[in-house]
Amino acid sequence: MGKKIISFITVIILLVIAVLYSAVTGSIDISMMELVRGLFTGGNHEVEVIKDLRFPRIIIGLFAGAALSVSGVLLQAVMRNPLAEPGIIGVSSGAAFMSVLMISIFPTLFFYVPLFAFLGGAFAFILVYSFSWKSGLDPLRMILIGVAINAVFTGLLQVFSFTGSSMIQAVGDMTISNLSMKNWSDVNIIVLYGLIGLILSLFVFGWCNYLALEDKTAKNLGLNVNLARFVISAIAVLLASVATAIAGMFAFVGLIVPHIGRALVGTDHKLLIPFSALLGALLILIADTLGRTLISPNEIPASIIVALIGGPFLIFLLRKSDRIYGN
Amino acid sequence: MEIKRVIYSHDKKKNHVNDVNVQIEPGKITTIIGPNGCGKSTLLGLMSNNYLPQHGEVLLEGKSLRAYKPKELAKKIAVVHQENSAPADMTVERLVGYGRLPYKSMFKTDKAEDDAAIEWALKETNLTEWKHVTIDALSGGQRQRVWIAMSLAQQTPYLFLDEPTTYLDIYFQYDILELIKRLNEEHGLTIVMVLHDINQAIRYSDAVIAMKAGQVVVQGDPKKIITDDLIQEIYGVDVLVREDETAGLYTIPVGIG
Repeated sequence: MGKKIISFITVIILLVIAVLYSAVTGSIDISMMELVRGLFTGGNHEVEVIKDLRFPRIIIGLFAGAALSVSGVLLQAVMRNPLAEPGIIGVSSGAAFMSVLMISIFPTLFFYVPLFAFLGGAFAFILVYSFSWKSGLDPLRMILIGVAINAVFTGLLQVFSFTGSSMIQAVGDMTISNLSMKNWSDVNIIVLYGLIGLILSLFVFGWCNYLALEDKTAKNLGLNVNLARFVISAIAVLLASVATAIAGMFAFVGLIVPHIGRALVGTDHKLLIPFSALLGALLILIADTLGRTLISPNEIPASIIVALIGGPFLIFLLRKSDRIYGN
Repeated sequence: MEIKRVIYSHDKKKNHVNDVNVQIEPGKITTIIGPNGCGKSTLLGLMSNNYLPQHGEVLLEGKSLRAYKPKELAKKIAVVHQENSAPADMTVERLVGYGRLPYKSMFKTDKAEDDAAIEWALKETNLTEWKHVTIDALSGGQRQRVWIAMSLAQQTPYLFLDEPTTYLDIYFQYDILELIKRLNEEHGLTIVMVLHDINQAIRYSDAVIAMKAGQVVVQGDPKKIITDDLIQEIYGVDVLVREDETAGLYTIPVGIG
């Protein structure tokens, strides 16, 4: 029990530090006092720039990280598969493709991007699910089909970049997670839909736990297995789609964060879901902050930093937990 | 429980359960025996609503299983499956607590009642002192008792078990069978199980259902129906059927003829 509480407290403290550090660091460096004073009194030009450019970026990073991580936890529970992740199985690329397609046809419907993203993500998920269903879900088969679906949508997305259309910028935003140039209307969208998804996810932890048993066992306990799968999947797709629509495609976050979470707080989804949300938010925020400060004025996309930090950390934890559980 | 003219096929080619009529007597231990692939587990699956009959119906207390809501049925029938899985860091107590799912609803749970049921289930299966242990630290026999305890926490009048002794050494096979017998005698649970060992079926059952190729060959008191002819007919194995004062009726395989 001690380890779980310590993990939660550590992540929360790191999150607060990361938010504060990120707010005052970058191409405009100011002190914390100046920032706070500027926010309350106004009139400080540098603080106004930070408010318009840096704050949206921080908030979007936090929500995208939380949404993608929780989406990963939920998909892994629904598919009973430790490799399931919105990026790997094509939900993110489906969402990205549908958004780009719809905006290029109806450029005025920009506000509805999350809706299109959700439809695209759901479509990709349904394809993966139905193609891999053969009297049960075979984990290996499902991942392979997911990889194939992902390849198709990623390919379709890239077709846009060669059509010479005005949408090249949008395609770039979707495929490479670039959190610069985000504004407050992006924030409004990701906060609204992200919060809905995250709050809903906190209510389905029980279902996620029961689905870790064999389907037959869960059914004989009185669980409506199909209904539980449907609801959890819908929440997972919503979270992954809105994150992709606003922050672009982040491979790996939905895979790595839940696994780190399990090593630290265990498999009970009551703790795993909120912990993954916090840890995912922290990971992307750190990655984006490092990405924009390490080699400034140039930027390294956050998703690249995520891979560089997350990969070694996951290996470290897996090695360590092997020794603890003696598996 | 009544199984009426039930037909079921997994693949629409061959009927894995073909026109089966069976009555399960309340308060008794009934064991289904038969060779691999004869439809024993499928029949148990039909009786626990994991498969829906393509023809005929299964009635529980006069009502078709289809008409039960999932949680309502889970308060009547608990099932211990042959294959089970759970996360390695799951504690015994938490897993047994899953058996309280049928009594939970979105807005209310009776914590005292749940705790009492979990405590009772742990006590009956001799797991009270293991309740804080994670299941990956248990032996196969203890783990099987955990799954039985989870079913007991459902507090159902019916308990079904699919090959509960498979994978266990001889000590734990009898440990589980004695547990099942005690549950039946002391708490009046109606037990239906699938077993491979004919002698265990004879010793621990009030009634045996002998199946072959999806059909019931014979059913009744094992001491009356188990004969060398029957075993030859369903398994194709020659056995001697003997009776001993202390061992009771038993069979010994002597060859394949």
